[in-house]
Parts: sequence; C-alpha cells; structure tokens
Amino acid sequence: MGEAWFAWTLIVGMALVAFLTRAIFILPGSHLRLPATAERVLRYAPAAALMAIVIPDLALTQGALTISIENPKLVAGLVAFGLAAATRSILATIIGGMTVLLLMR
Amino acid sequence: MTARRDHVSALREGALASVPLMIGIVPWGVVAGVAMVSAGLTQAQAVAMSVLVFAGSAQLAVLPLLIAKAPLWVMYATALVVNLRYVIYSAVLAPHFEHLSRAWRALLSYITVDGMFALFAGKFQPEEAKPHKHWFYLGGSLVMWTGWQVSSWVGIFAGELIPRAWSLEFSATLALIAVLVPLLFDRAAVCAALAAGGVALVAARWPLNTGLLAAIAAGVVVGLAVARLRTAREGRG
Repeated sequence: MGEAWFAWTLIVGMALVAFLTRAIFILPGSHLRLPATAERVLRYAPAAALMAIVIPDLALTQGALTISIENPKLVAGLVAFGLAAATRSILATIIGGMTVLLLMR
Repeated sequence: MTARRDHVSALREGALASVPLMIGIVPWGVVAGVAMVSAGLTQAQAVAMSVLVFAGSAQLAVLPLLIAKAPLWVMYATALVVNLRYVIYSAVLAPHFEHLSRAWRALLSYITVDGMFALFAGKFQPEEAKPHKHWFYLGGSLVMWTGWQVSSWVGIFAGELIPRAWSLEFSATLALIAVLVPLLFDRAAVCAALAAGGVALVAARWPLNTGLLAAIAAGVVVGLAVARLRTAREGRG
C-alpha cells in the first residue's frame, strides 16, 4: 500500500516536471532569448547528470571501485561510448555493449 | 476545402520525415519498458509512467534511484536536471507556436522529444510564415509518441519472457550512454561530464543518494569554468 502510493506520487511528480520543462516558454508564448550562460547550464547539467548515473554503474562492483579490464560492465560501457560516438545509433550502442558484456561473462 | 487538405498534407509530411528517427526510439522504448518493471513498478504503473511522463532519459535516470530507495525529492531533482535540455527547446519553439490556442500549445509541449525538435528547428525559421508548420510538428511527434508507447508496452509486457541471465537491465545504462554522447558537444561539456562522473564515484555512498546531486553541481561548475577560460583565451588571442 505504502509502496503503491510512493510509486504513483513519483509518476505524477515526474509527469509535472516533464510537462513544465517543455511548456515553460511555449505555453506563455514567450519571446525570451536565453542568455548564453543560462543556455550553457541547461546543456551541461543533463550531460553531468547522465554521466553521474552511468559511471558508478560501470566502475563500482557492489560498492567497490573496480577499474580493471576484467570488469565486464566497464569494458562493455567503454565500447558503448566508442560506438555511440562513432555511429550515433542507439541500436548499435545497445547491441554492441550487450554483446561485449555477454561474451565476457 | 484546400485549407483542410493543407493540414493533412503537412501532418503527413511531418510523419514521413520522422520515420527514420524510429530506429532509435524503438530499442530505447523496449529497454525502458523492461527496466521500469524490473525496478519494481507494476505493469499499470509502468504504462502510466510511459504515457504521463513521456521522457525516456528522465525515466531511465530515476529507476536506479527507485531501486536504491532514494527519497522522492532526489528523484524529482534528478528528473528535473535531465529534462533541463527541454527548457532550451521550449525557448526555441515558443515563437513558432505563439499564435496557436492554449490547448494546441499544451499538446505540442507535452509531445516534444529530442529527435523531432532537432528536425523541426533545422527545417523552419521562427519568422517564416508557414501556417501549417505546427501540423508538420504534430505529425512527426505523433509518430514518435506512438513508437515510444508501443515499444515501451512491448518491454513492459514481454520483458519477463527474457531470461535473467541476459542481464538486460544493463541495456538501460547502455541506452543512457547513447543519449549522453551527443550532449558532449564541446570540450567544456566533456569536462563537465568527467567531473560529474568522478564526483559520483567518490560520493557514491553519501546518504540519500545526494552524491548524485553533488556530482551534477560539480559538473556544471567545471563546465562553466572551462567555457569561461576558453572565451577569455579567445578574447586575448
């Protein structure tokens, strides 16, 4: 019961966040040009957030730092970075990364 | 009569233009569907999330926090930060759609995604008096929306058929990498991301997953500093 309430609160709150970030200028019909610094923050923050989520998943094994070519997730993740940069394809990145992970296990 | 035909042809033109983007959105949707259910959401909750939130990277970013039982406010903050790029899109799109009704503007806000935004912003200028460009935008966005929903549902309802040994949950991280790389458009962005990744490792055990927020803050500060250093150097040179 508590868990269901928690999940629904999360979903509704995220729906509001997702709508408001998209509607913030479109809905009022604003003609504001974003200052260069503001635009930089808005561009760097998502990149920082995604990296801060991805890197611990690749480099930590049960909480311990595992920088080694024997860490399958780390190697697969680095291959995925290379594939994403080279192909810009989500499909190629996922398939390539998963293939490396499964081969190394 | 002709006006009506113009709407339909703009709608169709947008829909056709967005079809190549589906190659990216379908695997991403399936992965998100599987990830939502394996993070503990019920199938109904997962469907509601994909329809109501409709923001793949924010959804996938929040799931590890849900598994780690982080507090709600940390998850909201994370979703907000990942979605900040939409604020830029919103500013760019606003002049295109300002003449439309409030309901239209709300609909086009809700349905905005990265790929269709890039396609539209590359094709139309704000001052361009093309009366049907919102139909073009709607057509393409509807295709993206449908592709996302259907592929998410496939992941939500068929995900349990995939053997656990395949470690499919890792594909969520891979999908985030694919979305992250295009955001690293200059040296400052790369430095911002590296700083955030480093701090995230060091602060991984901070209480309530606040390490993530510290990592984001560090990333933004480093990114701005590198950008400023560069501007100063160019100014001197």
